[in-house]
Amino acid sequence: MSTKGTRIPEWLTVPFAGITPAPSQEKGQDLFPTGNWRSIRPVYRDKLPPCNNACGTNEKIQGYLDLVKRGKYLDAYALIKEDMPFPSVTGRVCYHPCEQACNRGQYDEAISIRAVERFLGDLGQALPRDVVKPGKPNGKRVAVVGSGPAGHSAAYQLARLGYKVTILEKSPRAGGLNRGGIPDWVLPQHVLDREIERLIELGVAIKTNVEVGKDVTWDDLKKNYDACVLAVGLTEPNSVRAEGENKAGVIYGLPFLRDIGMGTSKVKLGARVAVIGGGNTAIDCAREALRQGAVEVTMITVESNPQEMPCVPEDLHDMLEEGVDLIHGRAMTAVLGNGKAEALQLYPARFSGAINASPITINREAPAERFAVDNVIIAIGQHASLAWLPNEFKNERGTIKIDRFGRLGDTNFFAAGDIVQLGSGQPLMVVNAVGDGKRVAFNLDKVLRGEPLQPRKIPVDVILDLDRMNMTYFPHFPRVKQAMLPPVSRRKTQEEVIQAFTEEQAVEEAYRCFSCGTCNACDNCYLVCPEPCIVRSARSNGLYKILVDYCKGCRVCIEECPTGCLEGVPELDFDSGVVRMDTAFAISPGLHGRQAQELQNLANRPAKEI
Amino acid sequence: MSYTELTVWTRGIIMDKEGRDIVNSIAASSRLEGKFAQAMENYVDNPDRTNAPTRKYCRVSDRMLENELTYENEKPNIVVLVEGTMVKGWDYMRGMPPGGTLVINTHYTPDYMIRFVPGPERLARLVCVDAAKLADHKWLYYRLGQLGLDRLSTEGAAERSKDIAPDIAAPLIAAVVKSTGIVKRETIEPMIANKKAFQMALEELHIMPLNPVAA
Repeated sequence: MSTKGTRIPEWLTVPFAGITPAPSQEKGQDLFPTGNWRSIRPVYRDKLPPCNNACGTNEKIQGYLDLVKRGKYLDAYALIKEDMPFPSVTGRVCYHPCEQACNRGQYDEAISIRAVERFLGDLGQALPRDVVKPGKPNGKRVAVVGSGPAGHSAAYQLARLGYKVTILEKSPRAGGLNRGGIPDWVLPQHVLDREIERLIELGVAIKTNVEVGKDVTWDDLKKNYDACVLAVGLTEPNSVRAEGENKAGVIYGLPFLRDIGMGTSKVKLGARVAVIGGGNTAIDCAREALRQGAVEVTMITVESNPQEMPCVPEDLHDMLEEGVDLIHGRAMTAVLGNGKAEALQLYPARFSGAINASPITINREAPAERFAVDNVIIAIGQHASLAWLPNEFKNERGTIKIDRFGRLGDTNFFAAGDIVQLGSGQPLMVVNAVGDGKRVAFNLDKVLRGEPLQPRKIPVDVILDLDRMNMTYFPHFPRVKQAMLPPVSRRKTQEEVIQAFTEEQAVEEAYRCFSCGTCNACDNCYLVCPEPCIVRSARSNGLYKILVDYCKGCRVCIEECPTGCLEGVPELDFDSGVVRMDTAFAISPGLHGRQAQELQNLANRPAKEI
Repeated sequence: MSYTELTVWTRGIIMDKEGRDIVNSIAASSRLEGKFAQAMENYVDNPDRTNAPTRKYCRVSDRMLENELTYENEKPNIVVLVEGTMVKGWDYMRGMPPGGTLVINTHYTPDYMIRFVPGPERLARLVCVDAAKLADHKWLYYRLGQLGLDRLSTEGAAERSKDIAPDIAAPLIAAVVKSTGIVKRETIEPMIANKKAFQMALEELHIMPLNPVAA
């Protein structure tokens, strides 16, 4: 490259007169730094993927999908276990808010995240030893009341923090709603048993048949433990307040499932069963009723159409496939029959305000309908039984009064799970209870260590907009479907309805993940940079470096970043990175000391033959 | 006797015409006022590369110019940065005698920008004008984030338009004229195509007085 006409300083004279190396030649890059052409600087900044944000316990979903892609199943399992004590359970039962939030859902079909989680959970179950280790013992004792999802999660996190945890469970078997609220054909008992074994391996003691208020009092808890987590859940079924609700043949949904789960059920169902309610428990009851010998099962809801029902649409679809009928817009006002339920009296009804959150208006002027049944299962929600709790900690919703950290006043008692989430707007789902248990465990740890509690940080940058990513790199690809038992054969069996992914399927599904907003080390920026400005030592997230002395700010890497983790930040927002040059062709000495030194030494080297 | 040097730093291709308009209009209006003036571009900088730094020069004097055959300003009294980020990139203050003026096109205030200026003790004033906003131009590069993508620019602008300063040059000329008085406003204003931006800039520019020199 000719430098004729350029004022070249004395120290820049090179052995071969008038010629300086071109940028493509050796040392040429040192001579022509172009960083001051730039007005925006590319910056790697990982954003929160929507799935992580939507998950009740903020699992690092993008992270483990990325590890599954690379075949690092054990790492992926360990990553889930940071937030979720039992991926094999939630991999089966979760209502997967992550999949609703998945950006791929706007593009073709959402990733089957739950199925991959189940694959990893089952892998963890098969391990001879778990990857999670108990923390260094700190000598403090914590009681967790209840062994359901929230209690299990809190005990798990506390054990990892080094606490000596004792779970008090009133039923003969641990598991809480995981065992008593979820039928076997969704979550086989042996899967849950294995997860509870894992919890015991962490050093958690589980005392069954211990009921707080009866076997243990409030004062006992206060005296014997440094702190206590109340995760008692909602145990008492709601009544519909209909006439004749006490007749034989009227069953409540949760006890019905619980007794089957605990193996203590004595219920014999007739041929015709009606289920009152439109939620997830009602759907489980209806499907369980088929398996318990009912021939015709009908679900009666106040909601006027299936879309309004507060349930997981997939489960509703599976239920309809199994042959359950639906009647909408009706409320049961009486159970008719002579000492035993023989028929139901139904009236047209609707919610007087918002669906599921307002009183029901029953139109009693319309003619009453008679619906013949042998059994009726009532599944319209649960409430708490808190007679043992001091009155100062009860609130008007009939749940435990807590502050925003899950703490009861300034005591060392904390509460988590359905018992605090009822009526708070949070869905009463397993994963939400797990997340609540996790957060409360960390807050409890802070209180016992005397650290100040800080409110939960709301994620500021959740990447929800496909325009911020580059869709060119993602071909359309259908979702891998989980195999299911055919509806006809599954009606009468307790076998799992939804089948697990094979390894190939799990990897294939993980490959569909966009890695929204997060660097997954795809090397694209490294390849597309028109200058050699992006360097890497190893192919890994966070290990790409941008040489700001040379980056011209052409934005090619930002535009081409598939996941949207690269962003352009105005150069003037940085105080640093001041590079002074005379022009791009003549570098002033001192400011690029290293280059200046090398260039000065250049004169001592033997001249090249041209 | 007065002799003033003006150096404009601009970006290759995308803001080339802006820089040229500033030096040409000031030189032309100086001549109308009876002074000796000269304006020229710098080809050493290779101005045909997008975003590359390029310089434009202007000299105004009461007497005949003695150095009219040198094509770089050795001691610029006034420096204009047509794009704000350039404040970080070069030693544009090199050779400036005390009592100089620095004009920057930026939406930041002089308080923020002064930290990037090398040798600010030589400045009599630092002027910031949000030219891109005042000119209300249609181009993408008002948003710095998209600057690098902008290929609409003034490339071939001479063929498209014979106007002087139809866009962000107008507020920058206003900033130079108001802060230094190098030419009279009445002389230069008729040449400017974007009179609205020129007049708004006279009202809205931020002048930070620094180290005045005794005349």
